[in-house]
Amino acid sequence: MKEIIRAEDLVLSYGKGNNRRIILDHINFSLSEGQIFGIVGLSGAGKTSLLRTFNLLNTPDSGKIVFDGIEITSLDDVKLREIRKKIGVVFQNFNLFRSKTVIENIAFPLILDGTSKKEAFKKVSAIAEELGLSHRLNAYPSQLSGGEQQRVAIARALITDPKLILLDEPTSSLDPLTTKKILNLVLEINERHNVTFIVVTHEMEVVKRICDSVAFLKFGKIDFLGSTHEFFIKVENGDIEDFGEKIEEEILPELIAEFDKNHIFRVIFWGENTKKPVLWETAKKFDIKINILYGKIEKFKLGNYGSLIIEVEGKGIEEFVEELRNSVYSIEPLRIF
Amino acid sequence: MIAELYKATFETIYMIFFSGFLATIFGIPLGVGLYMSSRSKKYNKVYFILDTFVNVFRSIPFIILVLLLIPLTKKVIGTIIGTNAAVFNLTIAAIPFMARLSENSFNNLPGGIVDSAKSMGMTNWQFVTKVLLPETLAEQIANITVLLINLVAYTAIAGAVGAGGLGQLAINYGYYRFQWDAVLYSVIILILISQGIQFLGNRFSNLFRR
Ligand SMILES: Nc1ncnc2c1ncn2[C@@H]1O[C@H](COP(=O)(O)OP(=O)(O)OP(=O)(O)O)[C@@H](O)[C@H]1O
Ligand SMILES: [Mg+2]
Repeated sequence: MKEIIRAEDLVLSYGKGNNRRIILDHINFSLSEGQIFGIVGLSGAGKTSLLRTFNLLNTPDSGKIVFDGIEITSLDDVKLREIRKKIGVVFQNFNLFRSKTVIENIAFPLILDGTSKKEAFKKVSAIAEELGLSHRLNAYPSQLSGGEQQRVAIARALITDPKLILLDEPTSSLDPLTTKKILNLVLEINERHNVTFIVVTHEMEVVKRICDSVAFLKFGKIDFLGSTHEFFIKVENGDIEDFGEKIEEEILPELIAEFDKNHIFRVIFWGENTKKPVLWETAKKFDIKINILYGKIEKFKLGNYGSLIIEVEGKGIEEFVEELRNSVYSIEPLRIF
Repeated sequence: MIAELYKATFETIYMIFFSGFLATIFGIPLGVGLYMSSRSKKYNKVYFILDTFVNVFRSIPFIILVLLLIPLTKKVIGTIIGTNAAVFNLTIAAIPFMARLSENSFNNLPGGIVDSAKSMGMTNWQFVTKVLLPETLAEQIANITVLLINLVAYTAIAGAVGAGGLGQLAINYGYYRFQWDAVLYSVIILILISQGIQFLGNRFSNLFRR
C-alpha cells in the first residue's frame, strides 16, 4: 500500500533556554493511504501538538515529515501552501471565522481556490444536509451550539476532498447520536474516496469504531503503536497505564475467587474466528467443561473483537489450550491475580 | 459671530473627517504591514524599520511636528496656513497612530483563527483581505472612532497655528479679545462633535460585532 505520511524522529519543544520543554520526543511512524489512525493519550500528552506538526503549524526542532512522497519539513512557503490545501484540519476548538456565516465558512476553502460562489454553495448544501446543518446555514458561529460549530468545522475540512484529514477530538462536544453520524460519515468518506484520517481522541468508542491502528502517546513518546485490536488487548490487560478499562475492573472478583486460578483463561477472538463455534468444538473434543465468567464481543472497524474469560474443568486442559490456540487469536492464563 | 462659528464648525468637521479618512486609508495598510512583518522571520528587518518609524512619529508632540513639517507642507500644499495645510499635518500625525491601533487589533485576533487560515494554504493577500480585515472589522471601526476623537483635539491645537476651525476661533476671540462666550460655544460644539462621533462609531461598530 502506498504511504501517505511518515514521521521520522520528530522532536518538538516549546519555550527557550531554561523554559524549554520537550513535548514530542522522537516520534516515528508511517501511515499508508486510506488508513484511519488514532492518536490517544492523557490530557497534556502532546496529541494536539503532534497533530499540528503534520501540517507544520508547529515546526519541529528536528526530524522529518514526509507527506505523499514529499519531505514537507524543508519546503518554501509557496510549496507548503499547496501541501496544506491537501490536508484538512478540524481543530479542537473549531476556529471558525467569526465574521462569516456557516455557509461562508464551509465554502471558504473552495472560494479561495477560485470556485465560483454558486458552485461552492451548491457543494456546501449537500454536505450540510448530511451533517444536519441545513437549517443553520445563515447563522454566524457565535449563534451556534458547540456541537453545531464542530460539525461546521468538520464540513469545512471535508469540502475540498483533501487527501489527509486531521481531526482533533472531533466528537468531544457531540451527543451519542451525532457522534455516531459523524463517525459513520468519516468511515464513508474513508471508504469512498480513500481519504486518510488522523484522529486525536479521548474516547474509546471512537477508536473502536473507526481506527485501523493506534498510537498511544505518553509524555511525548509513543508508548504503543499498532493495530486497534492489539491496543485493546493491552488496555484490557492493564499494560497501557491509566487508559481505558482494564478487564479486571469489569469482571467480578468474587466470581473468580471461587475457582482454581490455574484453570482460568483469557481468550481473545479477532476477525473471522469470532463467527465460528470453535470453543464449543474444541471443548467437546477434549471433553472439557467450560464456565464463562465474562464475555463480550464488539464491532471494530476491521472486524469483530471478542474477549472471553473462562474457567475450564476436565482432564486434558493443556491439550485443550494448545488446540484452541490454533483457532483463536490468543489464549493465556488470566494474569490479574 | 454666528456666521463665523458656522464656518469654523464646518472647517473643523472638514479637517477631522478628511484627515481621518486619509489616516485610515494609509494607517490601516501600515498596520497590516506591521502585523505581517512582525510574524515573519524573513521580514524581521522590515518590522524593525516600520516599528521605529511609527514610534518616532508618535513621540513627537503634535505642535512640534507641525513646525518640523513646515517645509514639506509648503511644498505639498503650497501654504502653511488654512485647513488644507492642517489636514496634511493632521494626517501625517494620525497615520502612525492609526497604524498602531490597527496593529493592536490584528494582534488580538485569536491564534486559532490564524491557524485555521494558515492550514487552508492561503496566500498572504488572501489572508489579509479575506480573514484579517473582515475578522477585525468591528474593532477597526472602533479604532477609527478613537482616531477621529483624537483628531478633534488635534484640530483645536492646529487652530493655534493658523489652521482655521473652532480652535482658531476660540483662540482669536478668547485669548486675544477676551470674548469668553465664543470660547464657550466653540467648546460646546467640539464636545458635541466628539459625542456624535462616539455615538455613531459605537453604533456602527456593533453592527459588525459577531
Ligand atoms: N503553545 C504552547 N506553548 C507552551 N506549551 C504548550 C503550548 N501548547 C501546548 N503546550 C503544552 O504542551 C503539552 C502538550 O499539549 P497538547 O495540547 O499537545 O496536549 P494534548 O495531548 O492535546 O492534551 P488534551 O487532551 O488536553 O487536548 C501540555 O503540557 C501543554 O501545556
Ligand atoms: Mg489536545
